[in-house]
Amino acid sequence: MRYALRRIVGIVPVLFCTWTIVFAVMQIIPGDPVNLMLAGVPASETVRANERHRLGLDRPLGERYVTFLWRAAQGDFGDSYRSRQPVTRLIAEQAGATLQLAAGGLVVAVVLGLGLGLIAGLKPNSWRDTLCMTIALAGVSMPSFWIGMLLIYVFGMTLAWVPIASSGVMGLILPSITVGLFIAGGFARLVRASIIDAMAQDYVRTASAKGLTRSRVVLKHALRNAIIPPITLLGIQIAVLIGGAVVTENVFARPGLGTMLVDAVLNKDLPLVQGLVVYTTAAYVIINLIVDLLYGVIDPRVRAERLA
Amino acid sequence: MTPRALPLVVAIATTCIACAEARAQSADLTVVWADDSNSDVTFDPRVTQSRHEEQVIIQLFDQLIYGDPTGKLYPSLATAWQAAPDNRSVTLKLRDDVTFHDGSKFDADAVKFTFDTIVDPATGSQGAVDILGPYLSSDIIGPYEIRINYKRPFPNAIDSFTDDRLSIVSPAAVKKLGNTGFAQAPVGSGPFRFVSWDKGDKVTLERNPDYKWAPGVFQDKGPSKVARYIQRYIPNAATRVAALEAGEIQFSELTPPLDMRRLGQSKNFKTMVGVAPGVPLSLMLNVSHGPLQDIKVRQAFIYAIDRPRLAQNLFFGLAKASWGPLAPTTPGYWKGVEDYYKFNRATAMQLLDEAGWKPGPDGIREKDGKTLQLYYPTLLEPDTSVAVQADLKRVGIDLKVEDVTKARQDEAILSNGYDVGAIRWVYNDAAVLQIPFTTANIPAPGKFKFNWMRWSDPKLDDVIAAAGAAASQTDRDKLYADAQKMIMDAAVFVPVHDQIQTIAYTAKLTGIAFARGNWQARLYDVRPAD
Repeated sequence: MRYALRRIVGIVPVLFCTWTIVFAVMQIIPGDPVNLMLAGVPASETVRANERHRLGLDRPLGERYVTFLWRAAQGDFGDSYRSRQPVTRLIAEQAGATLQLAAGGLVVAVVLGLGLGLIAGLKPNSWRDTLCMTIALAGVSMPSFWIGMLLIYVFGMTLAWVPIASSGVMGLILPSITVGLFIAGGFARLVRASIIDAMAQDYVRTASAKGLTRSRVVLKHALRNAIIPPITLLGIQIAVLIGGAVVTENVFARPGLGTMLVDAVLNKDLPLVQGLVVYTTAAYVIINLIVDLLYGVIDPRVRAERLA
Repeated sequence: MTPRALPLVVAIATTCIACAEARAQSADLTVVWADDSNSDVTFDPRVTQSRHEEQVIIQLFDQLIYGDPTGKLYPSLATAWQAAPDNRSVTLKLRDDVTFHDGSKFDADAVKFTFDTIVDPATGSQGAVDILGPYLSSDIIGPYEIRINYKRPFPNAIDSFTDDRLSIVSPAAVKKLGNTGFAQAPVGSGPFRFVSWDKGDKVTLERNPDYKWAPGVFQDKGPSKVARYIQRYIPNAATRVAALEAGEIQFSELTPPLDMRRLGQSKNFKTMVGVAPGVPLSLMLNVSHGPLQDIKVRQAFIYAIDRPRLAQNLFFGLAKASWGPLAPTTPGYWKGVEDYYKFNRATAMQLLDEAGWKPGPDGIREKDGKTLQLYYPTLLEPDTSVAVQADLKRVGIDLKVEDVTKARQDEAILSNGYDVGAIRWVYNDAAVLQIPFTTANIPAPGKFKFNWMRWSDPKLDDVIAAAGAAASQTDRDKLYADAQKMIMDAAVFVPVHDQIQTIAYTAKLTGIAFARGNWQARLYDVRPAD
């Protein structure tokens, strides 16, 4: 518990640094938020001056930075430049869709990654190993816009099993496969390597010698020890997904935080970018914390170390 | 009942059931419009600056006057209008039988409220405030009669009332919800009313059952046959087409030209193409420095590009080559531009020779040890850039194209670090000329403006100013024609091709109509095609 608390307090300096960096970067990159907002609009100078004043862009840099930090510390990220709506509400509205996709991707990644990794790792250098690893390689190598369009063509248009661009559980299937396949590829390769390593350990030989069934040896003794590196990788990948999956969102016409962040950066919508940075930083830290805590659950040796 | 009558009764009964079914189907008719953008932020017509948001706004709101794509005017919320002889005011008679979606009544107060709030800086209007022109005040003459006053003569006033950005909003709803609340739950008097908005996903509207004031152009005046209008955000063009073919959506906007051709040939789909008025996709030649200071180089630049072939290759004939600073669908278009700078590679080479640019070892021309290289940062249409680049290379001009973000482009424009810039503008009037062509609009540090040619001609400034204040339509057209001629003579502007809206839709439906400007589509009159 104390360990978890210490880790959460550790977020504060991380957030402070990221905010400052984001604020600085947004000032350095070229482009005036008002011009970007009025892209391609024959707006008069009156419109531009009004907007600049409304956004507080006519005030000095230092003042804007301090105001921003002070408000952010109180949990108020202000209103988006473009939509004029509170940033926290905008993020909350989009977070649902992103979390659904992340969860769907996680399910696909774990099922597929674990399956492929185990089949390959338990019989290294067999034809099954080659087949599984080829699939895994394809998963990480194929760009998601291509996989996405392929899935749409086969399952959405030719077979017409699932809707192409719709919300709801059915609409989640193809996007989940698209993001899951990528994560499953890396995950499977790591599961394979770890399981080959674990199967060569003394305790596995001992367990087999005691007369345990093969499935019990693999699942209870070998996999439990082998799973820590793959879980770490999975944690990072899921944290990335929680930040949004821009390309997949685009192909399947899904709302989400990825699209929102890209738009916000391109429009120099500072309050929204800052809000999203806090959100993604928090997501990373929390997922990493969960993974760290999982180590202790999975491997008693880690638990013992932390207590010592 | 005699046995002989029985079949007849059965037949009538069956027919009635069939009728009822057909009606039920039409009562449930839901249409899904797939929109290219997913970043709508407001549906307040007074605030918007996005043509995607206007696609929703146009279904929700009515305008004082209805303008069809050809520029013909019909009564809408206003039944009659009269401009003062000095063009400094317009008097309008209003309908007395219109209610907003929230039940409040439409009257002269609503018009005054809408216009007064548009010019209030607190509203943060991004488009409407410029459309409204030199608005001064509104005088309420009676509950259904109003006079709109202007600070100076504004001959464009009547036309401006057809713009969807000057739609009339419900004052009661704005007061109740506040400006930001209204932007998220808009209340108008149009054929559809707002239901919900799932950000980045879809907007849902439903039929306004009380609607009975459709503009004169429509045969039926009553509620729409469409029960629900859903605008889905599908930013990926291939996904839009796939969803259309799978029957998940009924209308796809900005459909790729290749798919337009294929879908147009199929009996299951129909297509329609709208040529947007305003400035076509064009290149602006920066005359403030470098080789483009020389008019011969600029003329050569324009002669060298085979625009009809380019349009044919990239758009399969859907978009045509353009010849002047205004698209042919713009009121005030001068046909004389079509005689300028027809593709002629030999003329281009001869002009460059005369200007002293001689072919170098790699084919690129040189003069005084410098190569004829021009820098073109752009975020528009990479295909078009490459086609232009190829044509220019054949006469010895090296166009350095760089695909940049909006932010990077703005930086280049503000710091005068470019030779060529691309522009396009959807605008319903020749008045758009003042934005890229007047001296006052040359960009300066901190002042982002749109005369990227950095070209100043005081005579042109005078002509454009005079046109803006002209007392009659004939004078106005004459002055704008002069302006177009002066622009073409100076060879500072390279029109490339018309901007097109490409809509593909299911052949099961009919009645879709372009709104004024040939970009947004009104779905009020959509109905089953049989």
